[in-house]
Amino acid sequence: MPRFLHTADWQIGRYFKRFDTDNSSALADARYGAIERLAQLAVEHNCDAVLVAGDVFDAQTVSDRCIRRTFNATSGFKGPWVMLPGNHDAALAESVWTRARRINAVPNNVHLALQSGVIELPQQKIAVLVAPLTQRHTYDDLTAPFDLLSTPPQWLRVGLAHGSVQGVLADDIDATNPIAADRSASAALDYLALGDWHGLKQINERTWYSGTPEPERFRNNQPGFALLVTVSEAGALPEVEALETARYHWHQWQEKLLVETDIDELLKRLDALPESSVLDLKLEGSITLAGEQRLVDVVSRAEARYRSVTYDRSRLLLAPTEEDLAGLQASGYVGDVLEQLQTRQNGADAQTARDALAILASLLLEARKEKHP
Amino acid sequence: MKLESVRVEQFKQFKKPFLLDGLSNGINVISGPNEAGKSTLVRAIRAAFFERHRSKSAEDLRPWGDSSAAPTIELVFHHNGQNWQLNKSFLQRKRCDLSIQGTTYSGAEAEEKLAQLLGYQFPKKGASKEEHWGIPGLLWVEQGSGQNIEQAVVHAGDHLQSALNSLVSEVVSEGGDGLIHTVRQQLGDLLTAGGAPRAEYKQLLADELPGQQALDALEGRVDQYQNQVDRLAKVAREFHKTDREQPWVKVRQALAEAEECYRHIESLQGQQQTLNQALTSIQQRAALLQRNKQQVQADGQQLQQREQERSTAQQALSDVQASTAALHAALAQCQSQYRDALEAERQAGLLETRQRLELSSVRVKAQLQQLSERKSRAVELQQTLGECRKLTARHQISTVAVDQLRTTQRQLDDTRLRSQAIATRIEWQLEAGQQVELGQGTLPHQGEQLLLASTRLRIAGVGEFTITPGGDDLARCQRQLEQLQLALGEQLLALGITDLAAAEQALVAQERAQADVHRLLELSQSLVPGGLASLDSDYQALSAELERNCAEKEALAPATTLAKGAPALAQAQDLRSDSENRLAAIEKRSSEHEKALLAASHRYQNADHEWRTLRTRLNSVQRQQEVTQLNSDWTAIEQEQARQQERLAQMLAQIAAARPEFVQQDIQRLGASADQLEQAQRGRELEVKELRARLEIWGAEDLEGQRGRCQADLEQNRRRCQQLQRRAEALQLLLQLLTEKRQALTQRLQAPLQRHLNHYVTVLFPDAQLEVNSQLLPGRFTRNGETGQLAELSFGAREQMGLISRLAYADLLKEAGKPTLIILDDSLVHSDSGRLDSMKRILFDAAQRHQILLFTCHPDNWQDTGSETINLEALKARTVF
Repeated sequence: MPRFLHTADWQIGRYFKRFDTDNSSALADARYGAIERLAQLAVEHNCDAVLVAGDVFDAQTVSDRCIRRTFNATSGFKGPWVMLPGNHDAALAESVWTRARRINAVPNNVHLALQSGVIELPQQKIAVLVAPLTQRHTYDDLTAPFDLLSTPPQWLRVGLAHGSVQGVLADDIDATNPIAADRSASAALDYLALGDWHGLKQINERTWYSGTPEPERFRNNQPGFALLVTVSEAGALPEVEALETARYHWHQWQEKLLVETDIDELLKRLDALPESSVLDLKLEGSITLAGEQRLVDVVSRAEARYRSVTYDRSRLLLAPTEEDLAGLQASGYVGDVLEQLQTRQNGADAQTARDALAILASLLLEARKEKHP
Repeated sequence: MKLESVRVEQFKQFKKPFLLDGLSNGINVISGPNEAGKSTLVRAIRAAFFERHRSKSAEDLRPWGDSSAAPTIELVFHHNGQNWQLNKSFLQRKRCDLSIQGTTYSGAEAEEKLAQLLGYQFPKKGASKEEHWGIPGLLWVEQGSGQNIEQAVVHAGDHLQSALNSLVSEVVSEGGDGLIHTVRQQLGDLLTAGGAPRAEYKQLLADELPGQQALDALEGRVDQYQNQVDRLAKVAREFHKTDREQPWVKVRQALAEAEECYRHIESLQGQQQTLNQALTSIQQRAALLQRNKQQVQADGQQLQQREQERSTAQQALSDVQASTAALHAALAQCQSQYRDALEAERQAGLLETRQRLELSSVRVKAQLQQLSERKSRAVELQQTLGECRKLTARHQISTVAVDQLRTTQRQLDDTRLRSQAIATRIEWQLEAGQQVELGQGTLPHQGEQLLLASTRLRIAGVGEFTITPGGDDLARCQRQLEQLQLALGEQLLALGITDLAAAEQALVAQERAQADVHRLLELSQSLVPGGLASLDSDYQALSAELERNCAEKEALAPATTLAKGAPALAQAQDLRSDSENRLAAIEKRSSEHEKALLAASHRYQNADHEWRTLRTRLNSVQRQQEVTQLNSDWTAIEQEQARQQERLAQMLAQIAAARPEFVQQDIQRLGASADQLEQAQRGRELEVKELRARLEIWGAEDLEGQRGRCQADLEQNRRRCQQLQRRAEALQLLLQLLTEKRQALTQRLQAPLQRHLNHYVTVLFPDAQLEVNSQLLPGRFTRNGETGQLAELSFGAREQMGLISRLAYADLLKEAGKPTLIILDDSLVHSDSGRLDSMKRILFDAAQRHQILLFTCHPDNWQDTGSETINLEALKARTVF
């Protein structure tokens, strides 16, 4: 009963520029961790092979160290790995693959599908029909030759490709080359393993996108899985099981804060998040000073707790209440200034006024704390 | 605030402890003479508050000569119902203890409390300076600085504002200043005083451009890498394709074929060459024959020509010969003419010569005659001359001697006259029969005599008289006379004459003779310049000439006579030369004619000879044969030539048909193409190698990784920069609003201050006004309708105004509930008594509200305070513990 692991879009070497150095290096590291986890899962589930459907590397000129680490990470599973060049790591005349070969980083059990054709795994009786991208920009359906390729009888016939299934996915997919939706049928494939869509997605009974094993962007399209594919007997429909591989979960929330309780809600939801979260908050609305303090507090705690928290509160206004103002004990002209800033939040320099208001409020609070500790 | 007591020890002149107490509310006049320690006490109070107890700049507080002193000050005062006690010592023992109503503070904490109370600050390091003195700096007036109020107000500014904030009727802003200070500080972390980014912010901004540039550079390199990868793919593809197809093989085949074809053409061309050569030799032979034919023709022509020449020469010869005779006749004629002319000339010449000779002889004879005449005359003259000379010799007499003689004679005469004058003259006329002897002689009957010397006169019968003529002179004269006579006689002798007259005569005669001689000499000279000898020689020469002439004439004889009508010499000469010329011409023509004749006959002979020879040759048999042969050869060769040319034409056509130039081009083209193809392939191979090598190196540089990192850094930079910018803007806005408000508040303090000030000014100047500006500084001063600045007033007036302003501040501070201790050290010394009175009233009024310590050395001025003056000397005399 042949069984294999289907994964794709490892994007090794990607730089996360919206995060600071600490976070981005942790996130980069996590990607290697994903490979190791895949190896582990392959061993656990007695897989015959691991198929990687493109974009193993995020760029052609990743460092040698990067290359080695990637292949090292596969060492957990000694069975065959088949790696397909995608659009980020296309098999050009000179590519990350040629370099990997040159520095002898590719272990013997890793097959690089640098040319269109069939890669036979005799021990496992699996024939992998591969459609690697060999140009920087490809516009044709590279899986077309599958229809004409023959494989040894009685072997499993699996297609491995990278691109966007025509007519099914939205236009914002990465690669430009299309793949016919009925390829698995026209090429008589037992299973067609696809890459390029970073989330888990089924196209039909025999065609799936595994998505990236480790999320790398804020998109809720179910990343962080690998697919365990089992074919019980020749001609049978494959059994596909999704295995979770993600270390970090990326969340992007847009929150509107209007009343005090909104912050409470936010707090509750934040608490519910696991520690291995990458969170991006977009806040808007208006809060009181007290609320501001609470929010700052909440966020600062979250920053310490989770992998990374980034937030944008440019559209969040400060609206101190009477109590707030009283609490600040802003006497005399300072009180006047407070009022002025409040009104200016709705004017031309709203952003600056809001910031000034926040600073003033915090200074006053600090002063008050000093006086009444 | 009320100061109770001040105790100092080891403080400047106060080595032993000194206590100032008994201070009351209101005005306290503390008097003492100079050097009593008034200013020292003021210094003590100031030091107690202003100087940090740990200060290293407190040396001046030490008493002189005591290096181990620990100046100590103790102050006790009340404020707001609380008892404050300050104990401070410096240098050797540094201490600061403060007790506020029982609660104790020490060190820096205590000092802060004091600063807060009175409204001043401590320096960060070093001694306290006027900028630190705050409100006390305003209220405690040092000696001689009362008129400088501006600086004190400026330094006290912040403190004044914070102290006075409570007076504003609106809601107080507690801690507003601290807030402003904090905001300013935080802003200062981000921006410089000029508003430019500093520190981290500045660095971030500075890093933007290089960061962007680095990113751009990396992008460039990544592009480059990608381009090279694409190029590698392309070139590799081409290489493989070309490797499979091997297009050069076909080309080389075609090349070989073309070359084969060309070789064939070449062989044809070889054949053509041989044909050409054969044709050439035929043509040469033909040419030769042609030449021969031409030669034959030429010969014929030549014969004709020669015949022609011969006849022409003949004609010429006869022409020449014709004219010979005439020419000879002419020649003979000319010759005879010439001879005649020549003879005539000769004759004429002879005649002329004769005539000439005759004339010459005549002339010479005349000359000779002349010469002999002259000679005889000359001889005559010579004789005369000789005689004259003899005469001269006879009358030789020296002019000099004659002169001398003359002189002597004159002298003699003079002396005689003189003696006579001197001499006694004696005249007598004797009577008859009387006899007189004078001197030696008897005197005649009558007469006179001069007596030159003493003379005896004897008169017989009478006696002897000695008459001595008077004077020495006479004697001398007499002597002279004798001398002169002697000399005269000698001279006459010498000259050989009898007397002067003779001498004169002789002289005259001599002169005349000399003149004669001279005259004669001249004559003879003119007559015979060169002397007789030359005259002789001339004569001889002329004689010779005459002889010659005669001889010549002889030679010419016989005398020929000219035919009548014979021309003269000149004419004859002309004739001769004409005929000579004609003759010469004719002779020339004749000789030319001879030459021509010779030449013509010669030519004729030549032409004749030539013609004959040629004729003989051409008519020979051999020649005829040759001509025939020649003709036949000619025809043969013409035929052959034609045949050969046809063959050649055929060959050329064949070659042309093969299009050799195209074949040649093909060969070139194909050869070049094959080379190029092979070269290109090699080039591709090389390029592939190069590209691979390069990409290997570049690939290892992790370009995209670098770019990613660079991008990430740049983004982070920008984010942070933006953050800081926003923060700076916010702080700026905040600061601006706060300071605006505060300033507005301060301005509201202006009014009460003005009120207090007016209260005092009117006491001093009833109609005057001193305005205080928004900075709370007194400035404009108006009096009697005139306006000026405070600084323009006199020293004394400024001092008064300064004090008044301080009192106004003090009043304002008092209203705000702040401590207002006023210390005046020797103030108002420049005020006149009138002003001083007004000032005193003001002070007394102020003293109702504030404690004033007034130190003075003129206690008399301050007797009317209503309180007892404190005498320092008396205090010093006390013992204190």
